[in-house]
Order: sequence, then C-alpha cells, then structure tokens
Amino acid sequence: MRFPMGVDISALVEGKTISLKDLAGKTIAIDAFNSLYQFLSIIRQPDGTPLRNRDGEVTSHLSGLFYRCINFLEAGIRPIFVFDGEPPELKKDTIDERIAARRAAETAWHEALAEGDIRKAWSKATRSSRLTGMMIDDSKKLLELLGIPWVQAPSEGEAQASCMTMKGLAHAAASQDFDSLLFGCPRLIRNLAISGRRRLPRSNRFVQIEPELVNLEDVLKTLGATREQLVDIGILIGTDFNPGIKGIGPKKALSLIKEYGKIEKAVSAGKVKEIEILDQLRRIFLEPEICDIEKINWGTVQRPTIIGFMCDKHSFSVDRINSALDRVPESKPPAAISSLDRWLS
Amino acid sequence: MFQARTKADTLKELVTIVSTLVDEAKFTIDKEGISLRAVDPAHVAMVDLKLSKDAFDSYEAEDTELGIDVAKLDQFLRLAKAGEPIDLIHDEEKRRLNVTVGNTTKKMSLIDTTGMSEPKVPNLSLPAKVSLKIEEISQGIKASESVSDHIALTATADFFEIICEGDTDQVQMKLSKDQLIALDCEDKVKSLFPLEYFSNMMRAVPPQSKLDMFLGNDYPVKIEFNISGEKGNVTYLLAPRIESGD
Repeated sequence: MRFPMGVDISALVEGKTISLKDLAGKTIAIDAFNSLYQFLSIIRQPDGTPLRNRDGEVTSHLSGLFYRCINFLEAGIRPIFVFDGEPPELKKDTIDERIAARRAAETAWHEALAEGDIRKAWSKATRSSRLTGMMIDDSKKLLELLGIPWVQAPSEGEAQASCMTMKGLAHAAASQDFDSLLFGCPRLIRNLAISGRRRLPRSNRFVQIEPELVNLEDVLKTLGATREQLVDIGILIGTDFNPGIKGIGPKKALSLIKEYGKIEKAVSAGKVKEIEILDQLRRIFLEPEICDIEKINWGTVQRPTIIGFMCDKHSFSVDRINSALDRVPESKPPAAISSLDRWLS
Repeated sequence: MFQARTKADTLKELVTIVSTLVDEAKFTIDKEGISLRAVDPAHVAMVDLKLSKDAFDSYEAEDTELGIDVAKLDQFLRLAKAGEPIDLIHDEEKRRLNVTVGNTTKKMSLIDTTGMSEPKVPNLSLPAKVSLKIEEISQGIKASESVSDHIALTATADFFEIICEGDTDQVQMKLSKDQLIALDCEDKVKSLFPLEYFSNMMRAVPPQSKLDMFLGNDYPVKIEFNISGEKGNVTYLLAPRIESGD
C-alpha cells in the first residue's frame, strides 16, 4: 500500500508540460525534504541497494542533489531549497504511519532479496527510504558549497516556499505534492527534481518525465472555486493533517463544496459528518507558520571544497564530479528578477 | 455578435501594442468598444487597453469575449496598407473571427478563453510623473540597446534621466524640465528595468504620442498614452529589476 504524501487532488488539477529551458533565469523555491526523499527512493541499484560511501553511509541523496543542482545551474535556473522545520502537531499521525510503512517496506525488501525477487526488492526498497539528521546537514553543506541558498522553514517547507513565491522572491515553488496550492502558491512546478529518465515501478522500463507547471489561478478558475474552498476540498479528501472523510474522493468533495459553499453547510445538510478540528486545519493552510525573508544570497561554486566533500568523504569519482562542475557556466546569470507578481496579488 | 469596420492603422496600432507582450489575448467586447488586459507569460509586464467604438467606421456589438491569436493577426495585418479598411466579423457558429483586407479574408479560429487569466491592475503609489513625446525618449533607448540588458529611469525635481550602464560603456540621456511637456516630482526616484521589455514596449507606442510615465523607487513604471486620437488609451506596466543578491 502506498502511504499518502500530501493532499491528493491530482484528479482536479491540470498542469502544463514545460522544459527546464523555460525556467532559465528564474528563481525556484524547492521543497527540500520532498526532493531528498525522491533521490533516496529512486537512486538505487536494481536490487534496491542505495549508493554508499566507503564507510557504508548512504549517499543517494547527495548524488541526486548534486547532479540535479548542476543541471539547474547549467540551465540558468536559480534554485532555493526550503527545508521543513517542526511539523504541525496534527501531522504526528501521518508521520507515525510513514515511519511504520518505511519499516514494513524495509523488512519486505530484505525478504524479497532473500527470495531472489529483484523486482519486488526494488519496489519495496524505494519505499523504505529514511532521511536522517546527518543527511539533512550534509545536503545543506553541499548546497552551500555550490553557492545555492537554503532556507530553514519554521514548520512546513511547502508553506514557506509558497509564501516566498507569493512575495515574488521566487517565480514558482517546486514539489511533487499539491499542498502548495492549498498554501496559496500561485505557480507550482511538479517533477522538477525527477525530470529526465525515470524507471517505471515494478519493471525495467524507463519513461521520460517532464516538469509540469500548475497555475493556481487556472486551477481555481477551472474548478469554479476559491482558494478557501480548495482548502475545504482538501480537508474532505484528507491531508497530511487529517484522515479525510471516508468515501469522499476529489470529485465528490468538489461537488459537495460547489453545492454547499463550505464544509459547515455540507455538515448541516447532513452530507458529511462534523470535523471537530476544522478551523485548526484551515489555519494550517490559510495562516501557516512561516518566517519572513527579505533577501536571498547566492554564492559561488567552491570546487576544491566540493571535491574534498564529495570525493574524499563520500567516495564519489573525482573525474565525474569535476566534469559535472565544468558544466556550470562561469559567469552566473544576472542576480536580478523582474516580476509584477508582488504587485498583482 | 460583433461586426466592425476600421482603418488598418487603427487595428495595427492596437495589435502591435498587445503582441509586444502576449501571443494570445482575450478581447472583451461590448456596446461601447473593445478592452483588453493581459500580463506577459513571464509576468514582467502588463497591458491594459481600451478602444472606444468611435475609433471604428462602423461598429455593432453585444457583450462577448474573443480569444485572439494576436501574433497571427499581426502577421495578416502586415498585408494591409495604412488607410485600407478592414472588416472584422465574429462567426459565432464556427467560433472564428473573419478578418477582411481588400479582397482577402482570413478566417481565424478563436482561442478558448476559459483558462485565460484576467489580471487586476494593481494600485501603485508612484510619486513622480514625467510627460514627454515618445520621440524624445526613443533615441536614448536605441543608443542603450547594445550596451546592457537593463536601464535606469530617474526623475528629480529638475530633470528626467535614462542611464544604461554596461560592463565597459555607458549611455546617458538627460532631459531637463523645460525639455519635457511636464515634470511633477518632489524627491528623486529611481528604478531599474529590463531593457528588452522597455524598448519593445516603447517601440509599440505610435509616433508623436505623448507619454505619461509614473515612477517610484524600485517600483514598476506605469506608462500611459492615447491611441486613435483620443478614442483609445493604453496603460503599460513594467516590473522593476530588483537585485536579488550577490
């Protein structure tokens, strides 16, 4: 079983395929945890074994982060990574479930390996990924060496990235989850961390994944709903903070909210049962805990220190790291943004 | 329903102003005339345009919205001579706009407008106002084009100035208060803008137009001018370039 990551409104949302080139010169606020989990889950050998350094420590996240950032810098994209802080109290159940699911997947992975079922082993392994404090620290360090800024969110990283996008500090926020839309993010980019060749689950086939741009205004227009109503729809389906109402999926939730306007009215009409923590849930999305950031500073690529960190400490090949670093353009794109967004919202 | 006849130059002017920023746009049509508001795909600039029915030789319309591929229309209009009449007819059944120049009609399929956003014009407080003829500024812009990708607009109580600072060269154009139509500015204001946008927008302004430019500090510039005599007006907004680090 797949454990949920964020609110699943994919059935209600349509994005537009874009390419990395379309984002040249643009600043993108990237959900760091979301990306690191993806690297940890995907960057594995066919039997599910992650990359490790000579001390046996997992390095899949560093490989993913490094090469992805090189691709961004090469394309002239200016990434900002936003790290999760303390999760809201209501997320505890979801987090516990995820930990349990990871443990179960890890056991299943080893069982499959013992049985010699490589495909099953891969698919279980991809769900067993754990992100440790040391991995997070190493990721932040690597970003600093690449001259890429990172931001520590007080709570949910997606809320912070969404707010930075609303303020015009970033052109868009990048995450696989749709929660950003509930947080009010005007532009969400999906598949940014994993675009390129990606292996299909349970097979040796690969597909080409392209980034996708989701525009909040277009989504709301298509649905005929307000952002507050989209939050209500999310709460009915279920989010990281509440299990949702049994039997209500995206389509049903949309039609309920369109008919009744908001959850309270649907409750009085006897269509759904009462959600006790409704206001608390709404506040998570509509008044999230975020920190105010005025300015973002970009640095420069520190090649010798990167070689020391990636190759000496984490056993990456010097030649490969060097040739990847060669792809980063010498003169960085102009450190400026022009956008009316700050004045449009 | 919408059916109108106008001179080619009127329509060309309008299409040039819009196609500078967007390839597709939603035109709102009513009894009084045509209006349009659009933001370019990169959200750097906005155009807000109104053209009264008086700018047309004949004009009949009920409320409707037309999604028009302005890039395509622009190309077709290049075939028309300045004073030549152009007929526009909305074919509701086939969802097309039929544009006739001389004996040639182009039936342009309309674009679905449901997904097109309708931006609000932001309320900006811009303390300085500079009024000048477009010709006064175009020389300075042309000189800047090869120098850098951004341009600074400055206004003080006494003058209006364009400065384009490149790695090696610099272009400066200064107009004192008496060289301008009007200058209303107390404290010095300065904002930096992406030159390509600014220059393309200024190139779309019809010759001899009087521009009203409203400026602030690190704020968007608002540029207003009339089209088709006084029968239409345009507001352009351009986002400032804000240094984001380093």
